[in-house]
Amino acid sequence: MFQNFRLSMAWVHTWFGLVLGFVLMICFFFGALSVFDREIDRWAIPASRFAPQPMPSFDKLLRPVFEDMQPNKESLDYLRSRVDGPLPSYFSTVHSWAAYTTHRDPVLGIYAEWEVPKVRNEDDTAWGNSTIDPRTGMLLPDDQLKIGSQFFYPMHYGLHLTWHGLGYWIVGLAALVMLAALVSGVVMHRKIFREFFTFRPQKATQRSVLDLHNLSGVLALPFHFFFAFTGLVIFASIYFPVAETQLKPLHELHEKLEEKTTGLPHERSRLAAPLASVDAMVAEAQRRWEAKGMAGEVGYLSVSHVGAANSYVSIYRAGTDRIALVGDGIHFKASTGQLLREDPPRTTPDSLNTFLTGLHLQHFRHWLLRWLYVLGGLLGCVCIATGFIFFVEKRKKQHAKTGSQGSRVVDALAVTTVTGMLIATLTILIANRVLPEFLPVGWPARGDLEFYLFWAGWLLAMAHAFVRSAPVAQGQLNPAWREQCWAVAGMAVAAVLLNWITTGDHLIRTVFTHTYWPVAGVDLFLLASAALAALATRMLTARMKAFKPKLSQPQTEELAHA
Amino acid sequence: MHYLSGLRAHPVLWRVLAAVVGAYVFCWGEVALCVVSFTALGMGFEDAEHLASMLTMLTYLVLFLWAFAASSLVRVWGVLAGGGAVMAALASLLQWQLVA
Repeated sequence: MFQNFRLSMAWVHTWFGLVLGFVLMICFFFGALSVFDREIDRWAIPASRFAPQPMPSFDKLLRPVFEDMQPNKESLDYLRSRVDGPLPSYFSTVHSWAAYTTHRDPVLGIYAEWEVPKVRNEDDTAWGNSTIDPRTGMLLPDDQLKIGSQFFYPMHYGLHLTWHGLGYWIVGLAALVMLAALVSGVVMHRKIFREFFTFRPQKATQRSVLDLHNLSGVLALPFHFFFAFTGLVIFASIYFPVAETQLKPLHELHEKLEEKTTGLPHERSRLAAPLASVDAMVAEAQRRWEAKGMAGEVGYLSVSHVGAANSYVSIYRAGTDRIALVGDGIHFKASTGQLLREDPPRTTPDSLNTFLTGLHLQHFRHWLLRWLYVLGGLLGCVCIATGFIFFVEKRKKQHAKTGSQGSRVVDALAVTTVTGMLIATLTILIANRVLPEFLPVGWPARGDLEFYLFWAGWLLAMAHAFVRSAPVAQGQLNPAWREQCWAVAGMAVAAVLLNWITTGDHLIRTVFTHTYWPVAGVDLFLLASAALAALATRMLTARMKAFKPKLSQPQTEELAHA
Repeated sequence: MHYLSGLRAHPVLWRVLAAVVGAYVFCWGEVALCVVSFTALGMGFEDAEHLASMLTMLTYLVLFLWAFAASSLVRVWGVLAGGGAVMAALASLLQWQLVA
């Protein structure tokens, strides 16, 4: 089908890159924002703008909160068709309680699971989650969307397409295509070393765009490869669910074997027993970590089979100073506080896995690296966006001659995924500041409304991109690029001003007088984006004025086959 | 023969399907066989699962590109579907031995 290896790779690069590139833009952009997901949460939920807190006292603070918890609505909706008869009005048998925190969390996320009577699949549990102020135990209103960690973050790996996990599969395919695009891209371009240093911004758009595409791809090649690959590894059990399907018998056998070696029961016993002081167990765990020369805070704490005689408490050390998210688990018998088990050192496969996934998820403390992650993610966006523009630039004059609409459609989609995505992102931030704290009865929850407005903003940007796309079919520039850049600049400034007006947190306050970097950082980033967008507007205006169609242009060999 | 003429009529479609679906079938077999083999060699189930998926994601990438680079589309489908089926069957056989 293809004349040679290089041409086959060029085909893969062009067409898969084009189709899945739109998804990859979302993954890289929202992935980059997710690096600061908790900081964006602080910006979006002003009540949570205080300093990060350690894991609070379980006995005094967490236990009463856990005891009041019940499954959330999504969980009950999910279970309704999976039980024989109606769901109970109160769930009393707690499967587990858990809390997770990092060095960047002022508020604490807590989770609980319950056993469901008369459920058909015994692995199904009811679940619930809440966010609390760990200083007081007060619940944060759950109708507020944590825009960073509950919207941008899941967007980058699931696109918020929850139907049968469709989003995960699309993103998985996109990650595979990213890897394939990197390899095929290297195969296509023989002069890879030279491309580290080649950027000719003054040449024709097509040439300079290709330079920038190669530069951003090659410069951050290890970054792009690593994140696409580890993204696949993190969700490998979704993509290849062998443990729940073909190898279920073996998996269950191993669970029983593991239970024997760890002494941690997989099934709940029928006998009941009260819960001893968990704070004493935490103190003992911390004493043991200190004795090993690695004093630390609690990152993850869980109680399994709550209320049963074989209930146990697991305490994991926060991974603030290492790559693994949490580790060095110590397990206690819940009814007595007796030590059951100290996790042995990691095996080699486990070390490799926690290293790879931990580097992707980066919950450790390293602010410089954190910013480099953002830079890497944005370089990925530059690489993909310039890929689109190169695709269009290479074809639009030809299409203008033949009357094809191909490059016009691709260009409009590129506008939608580049500036349109920024507009959608700014829409949700602005909506978050503009919507009243309490909405009238009968309205959707505040968080849901923000969610809808995000998509409405994006759809509007898409419509605009298509409506304004006619000049592309004549080989010219789509004015939507310039107009949407202008909108981005205006909206980013508006978001900063609205934050000031609605919370009183202006930059002089958050940087100098009452320093609070999470909010200051988001504001400064927004202002920098506004400046860049304004610059882009000016350059695009100049280009549109200077535009004179040049129909014959010499094409180099590389341009011809890319 | 009808199948082969279909291959000739839509070669690009069949290559895309081979790269995405065919390679997936092969990789499923690889994951299953690796997990069973590693556990048979004494590794814990989750460790085996992690190691198997890391190796297999790299295989997926290679097969994905090979589906376009190979000259014979019939061979591509033979290796991907056949290899996947054989490895998956071996995995089930070995599992049956281990669990019994």
